[in-house]
Amino acid sequence: MSQLLQEIKEKVVETLELPDVDASQIGDDDPIVGGSLSIDSIDVLELVIMIEEDYEVKILSKEQGEEVFRSFRSLAEFVEANLPK
Amino acid sequence: MSERKVFIAGAGIISPVGKGLAETAASLRAGSRPFAPLRLFPSPSLNPLPTGEVVAHFESPDFLPRTFSLAAEAAEQALAAFDGPPDAVLLGITTGGIASTEVALKNNIEDPAAYRYHGAGEVAEFLACKLGCPGPVLTVSTACSSGAAAIKIAADMIRLGMIDSALAGGADCLCRLTYYGFNSLQLIDPKGARPLDASRAGMTVAEAAGMVLLIGSENPPPGAIAQIAGGGLSCDAYHATAPHPEGEGALGAMRGALAEAGVEPGRVDYINLHGTGTIDNDSAEVKAVVKLFGEVPPAFSSIKGMTGHSLAAAGGVEAVVSAICIAENFAPANIGCEVPDPELPAAPILQTKEAPINLVLSNSFGFGGNNASLAIAAPDFTSVGEQTTGRSCLNIKRSALIGGAGGPEACLARLLAGGSIAGETPMAELEKALDPKLIRRLKKTPRMTLLLAQSVVESESVDSIYYGTGWGPLGETYSFIDRLFRTDEKLSSPTDFVGSVHNSPAGQTAMRYHATGANITTTGGDYSFEQAILSATVLGRSGEQMLLIGVDEHHPKLSPLFDGSFDPEAGGSDGGAAMLVEASATRRSPGFNFIFSGSALDPALAIERLAAAIKKENIETPAALLVGIPRAVDQMARRQLEMLCELFDPAPPLIEYRKLTGEHASAAAQAAALAIELKKNKIIPAELSGGEEIAIDNAPLLIIGLGTRITAIEVY
Repeated sequence: MSQLLQEIKEKVVETLELPDVDASQIGDDDPIVGGSLSIDSIDVLELVIMIEEDYEVKILSKEQGEEVFRSFRSLAEFVEANLPK
Repeated sequence: MSERKVFIAGAGIISPVGKGLAETAASLRAGSRPFAPLRLFPSPSLNPLPTGEVVAHFESPDFLPRTFSLAAEAAEQALAAFDGPPDAVLLGITTGGIASTEVALKNNIEDPAAYRYHGAGEVAEFLACKLGCPGPVLTVSTACSSGAAAIKIAADMIRLGMIDSALAGGADCLCRLTYYGFNSLQLIDPKGARPLDASRAGMTVAEAAGMVLLIGSENPPPGAIAQIAGGGLSCDAYHATAPHPEGEGALGAMRGALAEAGVEPGRVDYINLHGTGTIDNDSAEVKAVVKLFGEVPPAFSSIKGMTGHSLAAAGGVEAVVSAICIAENFAPANIGCEVPDPELPAAPILQTKEAPINLVLSNSFGFGGNNASLAIAAPDFTSVGEQTTGRSCLNIKRSALIGGAGGPEACLARLLAGGSIAGETPMAELEKALDPKLIRRLKKTPRMTLLLAQSVVESESVDSIYYGTGWGPLGETYSFIDRLFRTDEKLSSPTDFVGSVHNSPAGQTAMRYHATGANITTTGGDYSFEQAILSATVLGRSGEQMLLIGVDEHHPKLSPLFDGSFDPEAGGSDGGAAMLVEASATRRSPGFNFIFSGSALDPALAIERLAAAIKKENIETPAALLVGIPRAVDQMARRQLEMLCELFDPAPPLIEYRKLTGEHASAAAQAAALAIELKKNKIIPAELSGGEEIAIDNAPLLIIGLGTRITAIEVY
């Protein structure tokens, strides 16, 4: 799980091209949306695409997205729980 | 100035609900909802979503991309009873030739001939050519407000006496870019658009064309069915896709339309909403309606539960529908809404309302918070309208250019020394000068745009933006299409979709400077910057602080396909320029005066008309001619140049600016920046004059575009 968490942190930074952000410094429970990373609704949709492309895990609705993107940990847990077998 | 009104003397429409006025009226009354799962092209990886497809028959030859054929159908209807071509063609277009381009790219076609009709600006040029229209052509590409904005600009040109008639409206076709693009933003309702419904979940992407023939006259000409009483334009300057939640920009546009029409809100009989069916648009829009009209507004509805959302065509379609409502005295029901959202401060009409309709307010709001509202009235409608005050002079406060030689100072110095700035604007130049947080999602075109804006705005406020681009953000366009086809049409990037829209850079600039006035992006190949100057001239009001910008990017894959002037041996060039402009009733040098734009179909006639236009401006001996000769049409342009030089005696010094700027669609913008500098210094250096240093004094410079179109801008 911690490897997945780390991977997800790096992918978020890379996908969103966040300047001056060191993925290794991001806290597991840091918020993705509404935190200091200034991520907005289009960024969230971009992450939805990344999760589907890289993990084959779909996020199907805005409501589900709000839950899933609450924190890096919640995103990693969701991905792990829904990885295709 | 006499009270010149703008009448709709002809109208044409083709949409999912039918072809022609009668069929459209019948469908609207019947509440037809013809959405069907996507079938126009295959969807290999995703379940097809509902779309609004045109099923009525229309001429669509294989060589012509679908948008062109739709536009031609509507144009033919609008002009059926008109003798002779209109004086101008002004269209709103986002898709252009993309429906054909995306297929060619998918099939890895490398022949540039396959992309001949790609440009969004080509639709209007195609129609102008077909109709034999000798005058200006302008294409607005501001997403969903484009068609309405084009009509507004056309109406203003007529009111100002620049032209007597115009074909205006919008067209867009269903294509993968927009279908998958809106899907990537999760903005498509799987049940079909249900505007204002409590459980609405998005829009239905559709295609259509709606055109009007506008004629300027004091009294209704024969066949007049309505008039454009006024128009308002604004920008939310809030977010790249979401509207201002309180509908501030929408309110501004609606107020502007009513003010121009000289009426109080109470005189409006029907409001035709933009009403796409998205949660955010409908909420913001109805809030704005109630703010303007009170808690019991006039009857209002969205027809997008019937027609779907045809993007740039929507403004044209809904202007035609507004005219139908006036002619037939009814307001269409808000089909698709079963339970009006109780959170909205007012509810739409759910049944057709049969009643006299004399004044309609029609809204079209686009991505980037780009808002247009048209007040459309009965032919005999009168009011004391806001008097058009006359064309604005565009006085330039500050100007900058970038290009292959680097940033503003480097490029200007090189040009003044008679050197070339050709080549691609270095990315390092863009990165070093821009805040990384500001540009993190932005590729080259918006970065160049923001850098240019930053170079000319110091502490001033900016009201409006007029932006010309030949090809739009190619980096985002390519990236979107590439990812789409690489994943077999399963995945596409919302960031790239939003960024690929032609007006996205202008929208980013509006957000940066909180520019909430008009926000116009024009596109017309090598003549895009001239179109931006024309729109600024027409729309600008005294005291307005504007940014006038022209930018184009070289893309290694797309530019060789799209731009016929690209020379593989020379390599690509890109860049552009920006000016901070104050619109004014009086001239203060340096400044721009739009003189002429005409079809080069009959070059001798075009040069003759150009000569007349120059004479009208009392220009006898320009200090120099900066002439744009695109490589793709070199022979044609050189023949025109010969005729042009005969107009002046003695012949003024000639600067073939594309030899200095390189070959790209925004070379005219860079040439304009050079011309401004020459005018300020009052000297043409020997290195540029080809002989001796020349004193300019008060003589103007002329920037002349040659090739498929002939354009002239005076730099006073």
